[in-house]
Amino acid sequence: MKAVLTKRSFQQGSVVALVWLFALMDWLWLHLLPDSILTCIFSIISITCGIVLRTRFKQRASKTLQFWGMLSICVPVGWQAGVYFSEWLGLEVFRAYFARGGLALFFITGLSWVVWGIERHAQRIESARRDEFNLEKVLQRKNTKRPASDRRIWNPLDPFAWYYGQKSPRLNQSLNGFISYTVLFCLICMILSQFQGCTQYYDLPAGGGENQAVQQVVKVQKIIRKKFILNPYSAINYNTPDLDDVKLELNEVTAHRYTKMGFGEGEGAGFAGGTNDGMVGFVRLEYPGGDWNQDFGIGGDMNMLLKYAELTGQKIAKKTQAYSAAQLKTFDGVRCPPLLYITGQKNISLGNNDVKILQEYVNDKHGMIFGDNGGSRHFHNQFLSMMQRILPDVRPVRIPTDDPIHSRPYQITRVPYVAPHGGEEALGWFKDGRWVAYYHPGDIGDAWADGHAGVSQEIWSNCYRLGVNIMSYAHIEHAKWRLAQKQTGGEDE
Amino acid sequence: MKTFPIQILVALAVTIVTTPIIAQTKIDEMSLDRWAKLREVERYQLNIAEKYFKEKKYDVAMSEYEKYLSLYERSDAASFAQLKWSLCLNQLRKQNTAIKEGFQSVIDYWPDSSDAAKASYLIGRTYVEIGRVSYGKKAFQETIEDYPNNPVAVYSLSGLAEIARQEKDETSLVKIWKRLAFDVERTKLTGGTCATAANSLASYYFSKGTFPDALKSLQANYKDDQLSYYVYYYVRSPLGSLIGNEQTNGTGLRLADQVVAYLRSNLETDLSTDELKAKAEQQWHRMIEVEKYSRRDEKVLAAYQAMLGVFGNTDAILSNLADYHASQKRYEQARSIYRQFKDKVQGLSKVASSFTAEGNVTEAVKVYKQLAGIDAENSPQWQGAEAGVYVSVKQYPEAIQIYRSLIASDALNSQQWLWALATTQRDANLLKEAIGTFRQCENFPENYRQMAGCHRALKEYKEALILYGQIIGGSESMAPWAQLQIGYTYEQMESAELAIKAFQQCCKRYPKASYASTAHAHLQNKYKISVTLGGGTDE
Repeated sequence: MKAVLTKRSFQQGSVVALVWLFALMDWLWLHLLPDSILTCIFSIISITCGIVLRTRFKQRASKTLQFWGMLSICVPVGWQAGVYFSEWLGLEVFRAYFARGGLALFFITGLSWVVWGIERHAQRIESARRDEFNLEKVLQRKNTKRPASDRRIWNPLDPFAWYYGQKSPRLNQSLNGFISYTVLFCLICMILSQFQGCTQYYDLPAGGGENQAVQQVVKVQKIIRKKFILNPYSAINYNTPDLDDVKLELNEVTAHRYTKMGFGEGEGAGFAGGTNDGMVGFVRLEYPGGDWNQDFGIGGDMNMLLKYAELTGQKIAKKTQAYSAAQLKTFDGVRCPPLLYITGQKNISLGNNDVKILQEYVNDKHGMIFGDNGGSRHFHNQFLSMMQRILPDVRPVRIPTDDPIHSRPYQITRVPYVAPHGGEEALGWFKDGRWVAYYHPGDIGDAWADGHAGVSQEIWSNCYRLGVNIMSYAHIEHAKWRLAQKQTGGEDE
Repeated sequence: MKTFPIQILVALAVTIVTTPIIAQTKIDEMSLDRWAKLREVERYQLNIAEKYFKEKKYDVAMSEYEKYLSLYERSDAASFAQLKWSLCLNQLRKQNTAIKEGFQSVIDYWPDSSDAAKASYLIGRTYVEIGRVSYGKKAFQETIEDYPNNPVAVYSLSGLAEIARQEKDETSLVKIWKRLAFDVERTKLTGGTCATAANSLASYYFSKGTFPDALKSLQANYKDDQLSYYVYYYVRSPLGSLIGNEQTNGTGLRLADQVVAYLRSNLETDLSTDELKAKAEQQWHRMIEVEKYSRRDEKVLAAYQAMLGVFGNTDAILSNLADYHASQKRYEQARSIYRQFKDKVQGLSKVASSFTAEGNVTEAVKVYKQLAGIDAENSPQWQGAEAGVYVSVKQYPEAIQIYRSLIASDALNSQQWLWALATTQRDANLLKEAIGTFRQCENFPENYRQMAGCHRALKEYKEALILYGQIIGGSESMAPWAQLQIGYTYEQMESAELAIKAFQQCCKRYPKASYASTAHAHLQNKYKISVTLGGGTDE
């Protein structure tokens, strides 16, 4: 009966594991199931794991191994659930923490099992060796420390394997186990990261529009007209002027001409060559060294994305995204994010490989970098030196106020800022007929965030407009380039 | 990719900095002949516009130029007014409009005017300024083709040189420099640009170790004595770089020999008058300096010996020789030479300095005491130096004693000694005494700043806050800093609410100051507050 039950539990467990694996693959790569089903599956599996783990915890005194085994199984499930639900709830910062913390925990769990396995095997071998122990033989070969010098042991689980040496073989075995496991783990991570990055796509929303300046909102000024009170019986003959009795709607805001924003011809605001599933997103770079996640997600850069949708009428993504340089590389050669936002106030520690990826992003994938100084002169220098590495042949210049990026769709006569961390001038890197990078020196991200850093409405609304201009510029330039690539057959479908 | 020599960059930096200035001063002016041809009303209106332009009120100037254009469209200065209108737009950072509606209009409506050539050049320059380098390059090339005999062609060539530098195109760069240095006819307007190019070319050749070519380039600018001086002037930096690099060390040494030989060949041998003697002495010093740059100790010493042989043991030469020994950390040799000075006071002061540099305080103090005795007239100066030595080794009580006596004895320089005493007391952690002394100093707001610092160190925060408040009231430039310090002081008082208010005040009152940025970042990092009440716009 017990055997039947165990077999049944095993089968049930296998089914659950298979369902989880399929859901995981779908979430990461396949995208076949709708979000609601995925959420249900992950919720049910997470709760199930929790319940089973609780049961095992109660029985841990008698079934220690089963408890630790179950706990180990729960680690990847919990890791994945943490990442998934943080993303689902829009808690992007927690998502990043779960992703990193989960990986570390998974590594430690695996390492613990490796150490335990090696130790257990080594103890078994030593125990067997003790059973075979023969004093006479030992006396015959008293000078020999190692068993049968003519027979080399190759088994890595045996502490007497020849390559562990004669001095501290157990220590060497442990070190070997640790190094082998770490290398293997890194190798698998690298392979999986490559696999994950088969190709990601960033599609523009279908539609069309013009890149025209929006007419400025004009407030009607109240004009107090002089009224003449005349005596109709006066001897003086007046040429009575017609009194203007038209009542003005004071403080009325003139409705500005509706302009469909975007590029090319198509229905609705969007971009020619875009897709129905396409959406405008807000992508930031997750770089090592500093606080890349300033004002990230809901209440932060999401406000900007929502404002973009409000002002342009284009479809936007549900949430803002953050990608590391390695993840950015996984985007398609053409269908990649047109704009990459970089902010922070500490170090930007990019390796040579990361710089190469960003060079490829700017030069080959026609991307644009949008730097925003989140709070220090140090970041200003860091950003400029990063750009010097990415674009060594391009010199930053002050962007004119009549440049299309400052005048379409909104006229920005002065660069608005929260605090002049990196001066008061917006800098740009111009290459191949377009701005490839825009640097805002005064924490524009803070003006977008909830509370708007306490700056006046004029400033934060200008910051939103500037954000719209930059996003719109990058997307239009990218849409033009995508069309050109399509025409030359360069699109890698 | 070939490495772009640093020397060229240095040379180019000189070119870039100087050329546009030359171009600008002439390009935004109209010739006196044209001014003379204007009617009085025209001249009056143009003068008004020019006045605002010079006062950097570009938006007002722009409207005045516009007024001129609408009133006197057929005037001889209309093209100039249009050009200046465009320059105003440039200053207001509307460069795209300046190019399309300003400079281009000058070319289209007044193609024969002298302003058309200027506008053509300015189009190129403006394009480069806004990052459109390829457009700028094309515009410069067009200017050179359309106006080959106009000074703007020379400025455009210089602009192309700058682009070549950016693009690291060494071949084109050298070609342009050669053209500017040797082929272009030099006038009052273009002479400076050509001379700068020739100097840059010389620096380039020096960095390659080709002395004859470098000399030829400099000969295009200078003659006789001036040439010797500029050979020495421009060879130093490239020579230092060549010698510093193992691979180019040999080239550097060869270059040094060639330069020394050239300078020697131009050495004045007639020492009959003081003037000729001074000239020869200068040339010797240049030769020795070149040897110093080539880092050949024996040759430097030999040259000094030879120089002493020619001019005798003068204090100036001995001082140079001894200074060289000191720079090589041969202090004993240096001091033995200092002691041979005819001017004993000068010699001893140098001896004391060398003891100080060596870290031998006792001997340095002894010499300064000796000096105070010998040179009674300047006794306070030597006593001050003695106190300085004590301060450098943190023997504060001795220094304080000397400063106190100096305040009493040297009334004329009492402020100087008071400040020295106050800073010494502060460094000695005698903060209360330091506050008292700083109070007697007259260099507001620096003394208040120091006093506030001392009060904070003594945890007398209220007093510090009062002083910072006085700085805000009395010094506009220091006010943002003081406001920020008020925030930090409240933090030390563990009064977070008031600290936050103070930091927010800093952001609100001084949104454009760098301290506002610090306050904003501090509020975010420490208190997680993004509402900082700051904000501004670039004007």
